[in-house]
Amino acid sequence: MLAPWATTFSYAPAFLNALWLTTAMSVLAFLFAFILGVLGALARRSHFRLLRFIGAVYVEGIRNTPVLLQLFMIYFALPQAGIRFDAFQAGVAALAVNAGAYLTEIIRAGLQSVPRGQLEAARSIGLAPRDVFRSVVFPQALRSVYPPVINQFIQVILGSSLVSQIALPELTNTAQTINSQTLLTMHIFTVVLVLYLFLSNVTALVADLVGRRAFKPPLYPSGPRRRPGLLSRVGHMVRGS
Amino acid sequence: MGWQGIIDSSGILFTGFVNTLTLSIATIILGTALGLVVGVLRAARIPALRAPLRIYLEVFRGSPLLVQMLFIYFGAAYLGLRGVETFIAALVALTLYEGALISEIFRAGIEAVPRGQREAARSIGLSRFQIERYVILPQTFTIVLPPLVGQYIGLVKDTALATAIGYFELVREGQAIIDRIGMPIEVFVVIAAIYFVICYPMSLVARRLEKRALHA
Repeated sequence: MLAPWATTFSYAPAFLNALWLTTAMSVLAFLFAFILGVLGALARRSHFRLLRFIGAVYVEGIRNTPVLLQLFMIYFALPQAGIRFDAFQAGVAALAVNAGAYLTEIIRAGLQSVPRGQLEAARSIGLAPRDVFRSVVFPQALRSVYPPVINQFIQVILGSSLVSQIALPELTNTAQTINSQTLLTMHIFTVVLVLYLFLSNVTALVADLVGRRAFKPPLYPSGPRRRPGLLSRVGHMVRGS
Repeated sequence: MGWQGIIDSSGILFTGFVNTLTLSIATIILGTALGLVVGVLRAARIPALRAPLRIYLEVFRGSPLLVQMLFIYFGAAYLGLRGVETFIAALVALTLYEGALISEIFRAGIEAVPRGQREAARSIGLSRFQIERYVILPQTFTIVLPPLVGQYIGLVKDTALATAIGYFELVREGQAIIDRIGMPIEVFVVIAAIYFVICYPMSLVARRLEKRALHA
């Protein structure tokens, strides 16, 4: 009865290694994705038609094709053009390029959500254009963008499982390897499922605590009734819409 | 260049296209049905169902679809269900996953209908089922439709993961072609274009519905 669990947990070092790889890849990919998202949003709001066009092609091209295909393109197809990535780099690149397109739209919507009156008011009291952005637009945009951005980060963590398909030993790939060695499917995949649930929930929880502290007035209305439950913060917004 | 090779492989590509479409449509039907049932039950706040539905939702939303799919595919073999086809395993996993996401769309739509509607329906003597069927759900339609179409776009793209368990949808057929003739860039670009042709019109429809819902 307990023997399968004992076998499963004897692979703890491999699971921990994989957990680390998944985390590192997700964090790195998200950082690049955020930079891409800011650049993308600026491009889509640019005065130059060409930049707007490039931004639109990026967003629509990425959002209307599967991530797995984007990953395969980077890993299997780019070498044909002389661009070579190892599995980790390809994973980071694919996840970053993909999430970057979604973040472009999130950040663009966030910038748009700041009422025009705020801009006009800031300008009329004589703030320089740079200060208008830095002290008026940016803080307000950040506030409205924070929850969907965090959700996107969680999507990157879950999406990093696809990198298993190019043989990077992250969590999912490690599960497949150990499964083929031990055939303890139920035990191994339960462990991996729990590890992913742990990652996504801890991320949501930490982000929520930070969000409560960082924004004034607080991001979520306080009081016990309206506060979202610990688990329901995960995937709060429906993905991709 | 050697586009001739890709033209020669168009039969394989077409098979992949049909398989992707079959899996997508089957998942849309089953996933929407599951999502509708779970969404209505969750909005009804039935005490006995609260915890199990919540657990279902959190597990399937908080873990990767790929892991769920591998779990179901290998798990079926482990439990002695021999010969579970890749199509069935992919369909079950996709239905459970998309159903969880879709249930939240329905729940939000139902909760957006004013309470008075339900009270009025009850006061004229409609049964619980009649209330949902004839009073509540018709009113959720405009609210639910735009995010639902958005979710279907994600769903079509998610069917690509069935590659991992060996279902011959577009991506896997693409790899099969590359194994024979090489030219990964050209082949993958063609496949990306096929997905784009399916998904982009859906994006336009979703955007339009969203605008209309805002004006309604």
